[in-house]
Amino acid sequence: MDTPPQVDPAEQFGVVVARRLGFGFWIAAAWIIIIVTAGALAPWLPIADPNETGVGGRMDGPGWSNWFGTDSNGRDMFARTIWGARVSLIVGFFSVLLGICVGGTLGMIAGYFRGIVDRIISFSVFVLLAYPGLVLALLIVGLAGQTLPIVAMTLGIVAIAPIARLSRATTLVYSEREFVASARVLGATNRRIMVRELLPNVLIPMGALTLLGMAITIVAEGGLAFLGLSVEEGFSWGKMIVLGSSPRTLREGPWVAMFPIGAMFVTVLALNFAGDRLREYFDVRELGIGVG
Amino acid sequence: MPLLSVADLRVGFATQRGLLRAVDGVSFDLAEGQTLGIVGESGSGKSVTAKTLMNLLPSYARVDGSITFDGRDVRAMASEGERHFWGVEMTMVFQDPMTSLNPVKKVGEQIAESLRVHLKRSRKEARDEAVDLLQQVGIPEPKKRLTQYPHELSGGLRQRVVIAMSLACSPRLLIADEPTTALDVTVQKHILDLLDELREERGMAMILITHDLGVVKGRADKIMVMYAGRTMEQADTTTLFSEMHHPYTEALLETIPRIDMASHARLVPIPGSPPDAVDLGPGCPFAQRCRYCSEACIPDRPDLKQLGHGHACACHTPVGTGSGTAAHMANQNSGVTPAGLDMGMFSPVGEEA
Amino acid sequence: MIVLARRLVQLVAVVLAVTFLAFTAMNTLGDPLFNVVGFVAAVDCDAVEAGEIEDISSQGGTTLGDCVVVAEAREEFHLNEPLPIRYGRWVGDLIRGDFGTSFKNRMPVSTVLADRLPKSLLLMGMAEVFAVALSVPWAIAAAYRANRAMDRASTIGAFGMLALPNFALGVILFYFFVVKWQIFPSRFEDDNLALRLKSLVLPALTLGMPLAATYFRLLRTDLITTLQEDFVVMAKAKGLSNRWIMFRHALRPSLFSMVTVFGLNTAALIGGALIVEQVFSIPGLGRALVEASIRDDYPVVLGATVVIATGFVIINFAVDLAYSYLDPRVRRES
Repeated sequence: MDTPPQVDPAEQFGVVVARRLGFGFWIAAAWIIIIVTAGALAPWLPIADPNETGVGGRMDGPGWSNWFGTDSNGRDMFARTIWGARVSLIVGFFSVLLGICVGGTLGMIAGYFRGIVDRIISFSVFVLLAYPGLVLALLIVGLAGQTLPIVAMTLGIVAIAPIARLSRATTLVYSEREFVASARVLGATNRRIMVRELLPNVLIPMGALTLLGMAITIVAEGGLAFLGLSVEEGFSWGKMIVLGSSPRTLREGPWVAMFPIGAMFVTVLALNFAGDRLREYFDVRELGIGVG
Repeated sequence: MPLLSVADLRVGFATQRGLLRAVDGVSFDLAEGQTLGIVGESGSGKSVTAKTLMNLLPSYARVDGSITFDGRDVRAMASEGERHFWGVEMTMVFQDPMTSLNPVKKVGEQIAESLRVHLKRSRKEARDEAVDLLQQVGIPEPKKRLTQYPHELSGGLRQRVVIAMSLACSPRLLIADEPTTALDVTVQKHILDLLDELREERGMAMILITHDLGVVKGRADKIMVMYAGRTMEQADTTTLFSEMHHPYTEALLETIPRIDMASHARLVPIPGSPPDAVDLGPGCPFAQRCRYCSEACIPDRPDLKQLGHGHACACHTPVGTGSGTAAHMANQNSGVTPAGLDMGMFSPVGEEA
Repeated sequence: MIVLARRLVQLVAVVLAVTFLAFTAMNTLGDPLFNVVGFVAAVDCDAVEAGEIEDISSQGGTTLGDCVVVAEAREEFHLNEPLPIRYGRWVGDLIRGDFGTSFKNRMPVSTVLADRLPKSLLLMGMAEVFAVALSVPWAIAAAYRANRAMDRASTIGAFGMLALPNFALGVILFYFFVVKWQIFPSRFEDDNLALRLKSLVLPALTLGMPLAATYFRLLRTDLITTLQEDFVVMAKAKGLSNRWIMFRHALRPSLFSMVTVFGLNTAALIGGALIVEQVFSIPGLGRALVEASIRDDYPVVLGATVVIATGFVIINFAVDLAYSYLDPRVRRES
């Protein structure tokens, strides 16, 4: 073996290849924190009432009095964008939480016990994946109602299959490792091995993927909004974009659609970036929640 | 005039810690039809030398010195993007035939492509020549092999395919970089013999790169021993083996088990590992591992001294000279070399008689 | 043959499982009759008959006559029978090639599918053509000069592209190309092929650009890895040009991940691009599915589901075939 001295080309250009999160990660994290805080504190922030009409004129452009302009009812778009964050983030977070709790557990069980259990779970996952996630969501929301808990739960159900697949793959890898084998040899029970040995190892990558999953479900909620199936009471960014995207509104006041689009874009970008860095940091594979 | 002439070749890579001198002032000549053996451990710079000749270095490598092939400036050809030199006049066989063949292309295509690209052969001509080549490298049923994929062949056969590939355009110089290291011991000799035969038949020159002095002993006309990017000793083969001067050459020879050795013969490992090529220090790069090390070797790097008849050696205390013997005696008496190496490290491994 | 048979079994199993789920969900959670007879469906006719609920027909409310309509509709669509039997009946009809009748307009489901599917397939085809035509040359150019300015800018651009939801991209494109510059029509126009293609350009771009970014990322990474392989060094030593090495040596072994994801996306697009069809008002399969789901028109939903699941399995199979084309080593194993 006489390979030429290893000089990483990346090193050449001053890129830091070391295991660290990097500056960009903290910028992304800062944005996420800002938007989460703003959404959470919306009722106490010194902003206009998002549902009060006539705060400004009809279809005022962005300016000093209304930073993001107003819509056709004269409602303040800046206040609405902040309030929209509430619904979008709640849906994003709780659906991913559900997906990880259910999908993660199923995947772990399948990957650990193998055999018939694995077969049943894997087939169910395959069936769920064969069905477009959004259609599934559509069926459930359409039939069960357009309330915030149902929308969040539905998107969580859609996320179960891909998360289960990922968690199964991760578990397969880890249950091959020595520490699991040695725990078995020492006579640990299955439950004990799963909770004590496997769970922490599967949980870390799962945690990193929460951010990526949130990005996907926030977008998916927007998709539901376009199919007329967003929350009925209140509004999310997705619903705001739908309201702003009729040809007439686009012609008279493109900002009504563009500001929520911008907010969603930057947030999804930040979630993707932070999630990606975390994923690299913990060295886990890509998640494929396919929705839409 | 020699076919290939390399003068004061230097290759460096910029790293964050500083310049890594992979090759540092190497010179040699190679006549038509001759074989040069380049011998050294990992990181000695022998493969980088080969890659420099083949124009395979990454763009950030810093190269200095002159390389002349049949009167042509090789480095100038590289920067001008000369298309029909590498792969035609000068070709190379790599270490691992498992990875140096494209797994998704048929063997026939891979041999034929240089013929088609460089010599503008038609598809059929190239195919026929590929069959000839496979025959020449001793592959049975050559027609059948053309449509096979590399994974369907054994390691030995694959290396023969690689050799056939590099012979396609009848090169005048073939560089073989550890061509047998990745192969089974039983196959190694066949491949080396094949290379020898082909060289003789075609009157081609060859550079045989290896870490094993035994491999080049009966095959090379000249040998260059490299260490830490520098030439330690160079001579024609008979001279080198009869009047070995450099302690490193001697050490390399002692690491090789030989068939004619008695079963309880002593193999002596070289203590330590090659030095950090980024930070070599002022002295002889081998001093830390050398049993002939003297006080002079620590601060002062020995130059390559010409000893006549093409024999050259870079050492203050060469083996078989007065100074060498004296240094060795002194080290043995004190039990430790001036570089701080315990002389006990030189005890042989294996069975004691 | 064995492979094919196994695929067929898989297809049947997936179709049965998916349709059974959808069937059960729609019949238990929703009310299929609603579409056939309207609000009457919600009235408890038994209670009216028994006099437990006041007959308010004289005030414009439900009459007992309406209850007859409901009963007739129940009979016609076999809604009185237990669920498993009705599902069995549906499967039996499917095997005979009968997809059933839509509750809306009583149109045969096969007619609906035949009308909608080609539009969705055309949109899918255009989107994938855009995506591949954009991503492959882009990835090759970037991989040639990995880590240089162009490569870096592209990687960042692709990352950004992926953060833009496709409905948002659709709205942005719609705003500029339809509302502002009026280059493309605002609705789907079906009069001739040229118009059809023209009205699909924006939706196809909307779908294709994020796909292109995905493919770019995958192909670029794999190309960079392949270009560091020994056989590429060998090819360089053979004096082959960079272009030759890229196209004849490096590209094919680098296509694996891209082909996998291409397959997944294509399969997903067979069911129509739900949202993009909505944004650009394209009467494709996706919209049919959305409308039918909202209306509990389960024959249409099930029909579309069969098409989607079949497409999913077929494309998975095609991807496996593509693998064995891309790498002869896979061929031996299968």
